[in-house]
Amino acid sequence: MITESKPVVTATMTLDGREVTYTEGETIYEVARRANIEVPTLCYDPRLEPFGACRLCIVEVEGGRNPVASCTTPAVAGMVVHTQTEAVEKHRRTLLELVASENPEENINPLRGYASQELNQLLEKHDVQPGRFQGKHSGTSNKDDNPFILRDYNHCISCYRCVRVCAEQEGDHAITMMNRGFEKQITAEFDIRLKESACTFCGQCVQTCPTGALGDRKAMRAEAQKEDFKKTRSVCPYCGVGCQVDLLSKEDRLVGIQPAMDGPANEGALCIKGQFAFDFVQHEDRLSKPLVRGEDGKLHEVDWDTALDRAAEGFKKVRQQHGNHAIYGVASGRAPSEASYTMQKFIRAGFGTNQIDNCSRA
Amino acid sequence: MNDRATDRVLIDQWREEPAPLLPLLHAFQERDGWLTEDVLRAVSADLNIPLAELFGTVTFYHHFSQEPPGRELPRVCDGPVCRFQGAPNLIEKLNAKPMPCAGRCDGPVPVLQSDEVLTGTSFDQLKTNPSPLPPPNPGAIEECVFAHIREPGRATLKGYRETGGYDCLKRVLAETPEHLVSVITESRLAGRGGAGFSTGKKWAMVAKAPGQPKTIVCNADEGEPGCFKDRVLLNYDPHAILEGMILAAYATGASRGFIYLRYEYPEAQAVLEHAVAEALDAGFLGQSICGKAGFDFDIFVRRGAGAYICGEEGSLLNSLEGKHPFPRNRPPFPVTNGFEDLPTAVNNVETFAAVPPIVNHGADWYQSLGSGDHAGTKVVSLSGDIQCPGNYEVPIGLPLKTLLYDWAGGPREGQSIQAVSMAGLSGGFLGGGDLDEVTLDEPSVRSRGSFLGAAGIIVFDERRNMVDVAKNAMAFFAEESCGKCFPCRIGTERLTERLNGSALFNDSDSWHEEVADIEKTMMATSACGLGVAAPNITRSLQKYFPEQIAAHLK
Repeated sequence: MITESKPVVTATMTLDGREVTYTEGETIYEVARRANIEVPTLCYDPRLEPFGACRLCIVEVEGGRNPVASCTTPAVAGMVVHTQTEAVEKHRRTLLELVASENPEENINPLRGYASQELNQLLEKHDVQPGRFQGKHSGTSNKDDNPFILRDYNHCISCYRCVRVCAEQEGDHAITMMNRGFEKQITAEFDIRLKESACTFCGQCVQTCPTGALGDRKAMRAEAQKEDFKKTRSVCPYCGVGCQVDLLSKEDRLVGIQPAMDGPANEGALCIKGQFAFDFVQHEDRLSKPLVRGEDGKLHEVDWDTALDRAAEGFKKVRQQHGNHAIYGVASGRAPSEASYTMQKFIRAGFGTNQIDNCSRA
Repeated sequence: MNDRATDRVLIDQWREEPAPLLPLLHAFQERDGWLTEDVLRAVSADLNIPLAELFGTVTFYHHFSQEPPGRELPRVCDGPVCRFQGAPNLIEKLNAKPMPCAGRCDGPVPVLQSDEVLTGTSFDQLKTNPSPLPPPNPGAIEECVFAHIREPGRATLKGYRETGGYDCLKRVLAETPEHLVSVITESRLAGRGGAGFSTGKKWAMVAKAPGQPKTIVCNADEGEPGCFKDRVLLNYDPHAILEGMILAAYATGASRGFIYLRYEYPEAQAVLEHAVAEALDAGFLGQSICGKAGFDFDIFVRRGAGAYICGEEGSLLNSLEGKHPFPRNRPPFPVTNGFEDLPTAVNNVETFAAVPPIVNHGADWYQSLGSGDHAGTKVVSLSGDIQCPGNYEVPIGLPLKTLLYDWAGGPREGQSIQAVSMAGLSGGFLGGGDLDEVTLDEPSVRSRGSFLGAAGIIVFDERRNMVDVAKNAMAFFAEESCGKCFPCRIGTERLTERLNGSALFNDSDSWHEEVADIEKTMMATSACGLGVAAPNITRSLQKYFPEQIAAHLK
């Protein structure tokens, strides 16, 4: 995007009694985060446009009548802000009690998604009194039987992070907000199932959901195993982008994948493959050792030299019988640039043909 | 195949027009009766709006329908006044869909079917009745926006010009826009939609803001229950509104204008479109207005589709732009980032209608119309249990009881007034001694914990159960809450449940404690005026009618 370059202007404001410097354009919330002042929120995701729905991030600005939502209010020079007054804390507790009242009380397994514990953690932290403001529950769970995304809207709090991440980050615009007010409901057009919608099952809605209303169905298969999962930082093996992931494992088994929110290439994004297609890792059909077919028509385990000799023999035979152009190389889309380079060299220089391609064309 | 061709025609008719989504959807709904999946797919593809987003937006509005009978289904007003004059019965008889207050509180219950408004208090009496004119002014009190409204033919260009309509344009265009802004600022005209922001200041900000083209928006989405003042101006004095908008365009440098009209006023749409065509023909709109080179201004009428929140300016602008009609975060304000993110003046119908008389008679004249130190007039929509309901243009600062008893004839025979609502429903109620003491100006009304706002006043006599009235009012706010900010979305629902008895309590203390906590948090943290104002209902109920609450909690 081409924008006019503007000079970077910095100024100062007062935050909880401290003078802090900010850059013009920053919101109060962003300044507070940088100053390590914790301000609660449920609708905020740093990757998305400021939205201002949950109102938990309200702060008092001296001279103002009402508190303001810090996530949507730009910092102004000389502003004096209090993030933790008694009145503000009381409003936050009331807001949290109201949110808690719209859903059934339930412990949500953290396997549901990266942010799935946010609401419950805030309820705990703010000493929320359970059972206040009882009334009708909001949201109807969707029976969508896709294998990837659980749509348990009984736990939805209408923060619209899912809708916004789908539109702003993934660009799918697959889901929307139907109706209004307390009847608001997340759905795809005409209330169809995700499979029939523009959804690409990237799973970003699942990972940004702060309540676990959206759940990672593949990871949830391991919910019954009672031990905690371990997170191991890795890089997605599928393509050359290099999305960082956290591999979730229980004992020695991979049970799920979460995107790394701080992965420089992906910032919390994955695609359907990186997010959900990990069953191959522990699949019984997976090749883990070199195999060659014997005279009996069956595959037999051999050492690498034997296997490579057999492959070379096959190539040679084809080349002799049918010529250089009978060979066609298809590189894996999962191969990094270096391996792809080697592959094309192998085909072009080694076999003398330009018939080299990549599986992502398929 | 024929249908597709027609889709093409309709889409091509609208796609290059400004703010095309609403009129295009209306055109399809008019053709088919409701919006089919195929239509939404076609609109999505051609207007380049993601289908899911378009679907969500369509479901936001009351009157867009995705199934039969759709447009043909009669809608009956079940607002706070119509409820008392036969609406429930009509809904049952007609098998109709209830609609929130449709702005005809000064007459029998309105029934909207397609583009026809019938009125009546019972099934066999339904007929088309002209929109009621303001009752006669009860004395020699000078009016501003109603001065000529009762003259026959006023809605036509000819009628409007008989009293000098559009005459001031030539004179104003010979002077600078700054001069016009200063006249309006000096008159102390303030936003008559209820927010009360200085009109002159707003225009000055738009004039100063960088970015072109600039836009003038007339907010005619009069949705507040008990408010019907804009309806009468739209129906009977459309050229005054147009002239006010043209003057605003000159003052700010705007070149396009919209009138965002509520769905429930189909007659007004016909009147406005006719007036715009007449003004265009006469050279008061279009290119080089009144021969002034470079002064170009066009006005487009856009019909809403039934959403109270679209009267909130951020929602209105999103709705015009074809987006999900959530309110916008402020700052930035529309004066710098309005329609299509460009400088925009959004003013109420009554505000625009007041501009030509101010320009004609001067700032001092307008100021002097108010009572005491107050400047100007305010149209009050008075309805409910009162002898003469209707729109009254009062000097700001007039005692409420003067309006109720001297102007409008007092309560019905044998009854007494127990409460009035303020700002339609948004201001909650006034009762007790305040009914005798309050004057119709913001400082006085606000000192009672309410506000005058758009000045809808509904009268409730002793027969009315105020908890019931409050319950219906809160149910309205819950129904109309957009669903974006938590305190309003959940708070209006919870307050409704606490008024309708569906939430159970062991003791009344915990009822009061919960209600007070919700009220405080809604008022302090809601993102727009709906959530900030809705608790006025329960707060005033507790203030004036504690015994009725006690009875409710028994």
